[in-house]
Amino acid sequence: MEAPAPPAVELRDISKDFGSNRALDHVDLSIGDGEVVGLVGQNGSGKSTLVKILSGVHVPEPGGRLFVSGEEVPLPLAPGQASQIGLSFVYQNLALAPGLTVLENLTLGQRVAAGARAAWAPINWLGEKRRGAAVLDRYGVRLNLDQRTGELPPVDQARLAIVRAAEDLNRYRTRSGYKHSVLVLDEPTVFLPEEDVEQLFDLIRTVKAEGAAVLFISHDLVAVRSIADRVVVLRDGRVVAEVPAGEIEEQALVDLIVGTSARQGGSAAADEARPVEVTLAPAGPAGAEDTPGPGPGQHVAVEHLSDGRLKDLSFEIGAGEILGVAGLIGSGAEDLPYLLFGAHPALSGTLRLGSEKLDITALSPQRSVRQRIALVPADRQLLGLAERLTLWENIVMLVEDEHYRGGVFHRGELVELAREAVQRFEIRPPRTHAVIATFSGGNQQKALLAKWLIAGPRLLLLHEPTQGVDVGARRDIYRFVKSAATLNQTSVLWVTTDFGELAEVCDRVIVLSEGRTTDTLAGEELSDDAITAAALRQIREVR
Amino acid sequence: MSASPGAPAPVEAGGRDERPAERDRPSAIRRLGLERYAIVIVLVAMIVAFGVDIPSTFLSIGNLSNILGSQAVLFILVMAVLLPTIMGDFVDLSLGSSLGLSAMVLAVLNVQHGTNVLLACLAGIGAAVIVGLFNVFFVVYFDNDPFIVTLGTMTIVQGIIYIVSGNNSVGIVSTSLSNWVFSNEFLSIPLEFYYGLAIFLVVWYVLSFTPVGQKALVIGQSREVARLTGVRVNRQRSWAFIIGAAIAGIAGIAYAATNGTVDPTAGSALILPAYAAVFLGATAIKPGRINALGALVAVYFLATGTAGLELLGAQSYIQQIFYGAALVVAITIPKVNRDRIFKRRRTA
Repeated sequence: MEAPAPPAVELRDISKDFGSNRALDHVDLSIGDGEVVGLVGQNGSGKSTLVKILSGVHVPEPGGRLFVSGEEVPLPLAPGQASQIGLSFVYQNLALAPGLTVLENLTLGQRVAAGARAAWAPINWLGEKRRGAAVLDRYGVRLNLDQRTGELPPVDQARLAIVRAAEDLNRYRTRSGYKHSVLVLDEPTVFLPEEDVEQLFDLIRTVKAEGAAVLFISHDLVAVRSIADRVVVLRDGRVVAEVPAGEIEEQALVDLIVGTSARQGGSAAADEARPVEVTLAPAGPAGAEDTPGPGPGQHVAVEHLSDGRLKDLSFEIGAGEILGVAGLIGSGAEDLPYLLFGAHPALSGTLRLGSEKLDITALSPQRSVRQRIALVPADRQLLGLAERLTLWENIVMLVEDEHYRGGVFHRGELVELAREAVQRFEIRPPRTHAVIATFSGGNQQKALLAKWLIAGPRLLLLHEPTQGVDVGARRDIYRFVKSAATLNQTSVLWVTTDFGELAEVCDRVIVLSEGRTTDTLAGEELSDDAITAAALRQIREVR
Repeated sequence: MSASPGAPAPVEAGGRDERPAERDRPSAIRRLGLERYAIVIVLVAMIVAFGVDIPSTFLSIGNLSNILGSQAVLFILVMAVLLPTIMGDFVDLSLGSSLGLSAMVLAVLNVQHGTNVLLACLAGIGAAVIVGLFNVFFVVYFDNDPFIVTLGTMTIVQGIIYIVSGNNSVGIVSTSLSNWVFSNEFLSIPLEFYYGLAIFLVVWYVLSFTPVGQKALVIGQSREVARLTGVRVNRQRSWAFIIGAAIAGIAGIAYAATNGTVDPTAGSALILPAYAAVFLGATAIKPGRINALGALVAVYFLATGTAGLELLGAQSYIQQIFYGAALVVAITIPKVNRDRIFKRRRTA
């Protein structure tokens, strides 16, 4: 008997600090040839940091070591080095060019790998097509090689991306003579309907049968349990468990991910003592407002909302309530703010604002603005702010019309209004005439919030409002939204994948899964871990 | 992804480090505040230089009248070009052929069919508006690239102009129109200059002193932000195409009245200089923004330069070289950052 073969890939003692924050703490991980390892953990547990160290994006702390087929490879990896040592990655976004054909996407890797010298070598498309068909055939995937990739259903796109990665590994094995190869799949199933996931698994089993080691990263515990041989659980940057997939119950897995001893969720949020008056009285006579109404402070109800992903969703938000919506990627939670604002079309649904009843399918951003519904989108650079305009121009965008009277545009009033908002929302530096792109992320976000809050919204829709924002600004944003809710009775819908944030700011949290509400948490139950557990548990129940 | 300012800006009030991560380090010129008036300063310098060199011809009333009057058609066209451009529909190539179509319809109706001048003028402008509506339909409604669509429109309209005119120059347009546009003068300057000025004042007012103009700016900067702020993006873009076309039609009338005869290729020679002026104007007054006042300065900057050079004995084609060079130099100067140049030298 010879010694057991070394694992295809082995990470030893990997740590990674971001500032004072330890993202990975002495992590060991190994995957054998022909083995599928599932990597699970909640948001921020270190999964993606680990993948990024493997792909050469992040530099680990000294002391970490990487072995491939028993041979040590010095860390950190250079960008692009991963593919030279037999690692191949398929990310959530698949990295396919939608305008190119299936064949072109399939052979793209070869083009790049061939290097500069081969850049002028003629391409024999007939030969390529024959080889491409053979490759797809070998993996049991049936696709039209001449079809535009963007026209394929999502599952076929995912399969194409996996076949391409597997084929790159195949070539690596023949070229280098090594036996090992590692395929890393980072959340490949989130956008797929459940009936398609099985097709993907067949493909992964084929890849595995060829001898590749597979690292499968997912939130979806059902998927992990059915495809993985072994499950590795990360929590707070540490490996807390490593168990054969068949031997663990799902509830036990959830407990491992969340941590059985529920940590205290609510961190000290003591600085709410000074609420901010957020509605600034318009300096001129309010003219253009179409909705007189009794002002903010109305009960909001969403009824029977459906779109591609949401299925007959109904919920209510009380006046002055902050309602959190939690859901894993693909649950439909991230669509909600855009649907309620009319930015994306819905299939059906009604929105009740106080006594008014609005058809959600007939909503448009213009209409929503008139109804004083506010949307703070996640992508502030693309959707939220006009980056090359100044701070004041961005802040007053919604109230400009009120300051145009008798043919005169009262710019001074607007600048004054913006200046006041800059003070109240603590935007720094307070340079109202500076171009907004020159401000830091946190201050840009405060400006975006100010833009909507000075218009006095009745319903405030927030999507990832603290994304890419530093800690100080994050506290400020919590404070501003809370005071809008308490002082103006604005109803707030808060959607984020940062469950700790929901636990901290929300009065109540609903949990979505597969487009349905499956749980509601409030009061004492609200904690990061409870929300995470609820979100994970649901996948199991729905499936 | 350029520079993710994760760290909060330091906040010591009055401290020198008050500004946040400098993503866009301003050049020396911008820091001195010279940029916005650079063209104005060069214009004044040019006037002084030509004035010293050739005082008898350059500093004459005749030359002033020539500079202001001769560019009136171009100036009106520039105002037309401004509208779609400011809303981010970066090029409406067909505005030149709208000008040509309007002039040709006027000439053909008035000269060959004896239609009343006023009616013929309205018909000309109407024809231009139809071209604008065509663009709205294909650019805004079907959400196509304006460059490609208006390239097509331009070609179609040019073809129509050849059909309408029978591929001949048509003249001479009613002298009463010429009188009211070109021959009559106020303060020794042809009336068409004042027509252009009037159109400029309206465009300037709307773009700079009304919420509509402010919204146009937002649309031009980011269409999605404007949409999610509740701005009626497509409606405003449509009006920009239509009113732009109408103003181009008016430019066509001025062209016909100024030249007397209308050549089938009338508009095509004017459209690129008009864009040169608009983009040159975007470097002045409000740098980085397409703006009406900047465009005004740019047109007369170019006109003064070419007039001076011609008086010095340069051939008329010097105009093209001067236009092109001024545009390239003007957009490049703000980017010339001393640090960058030095760094590059060091590494080279």
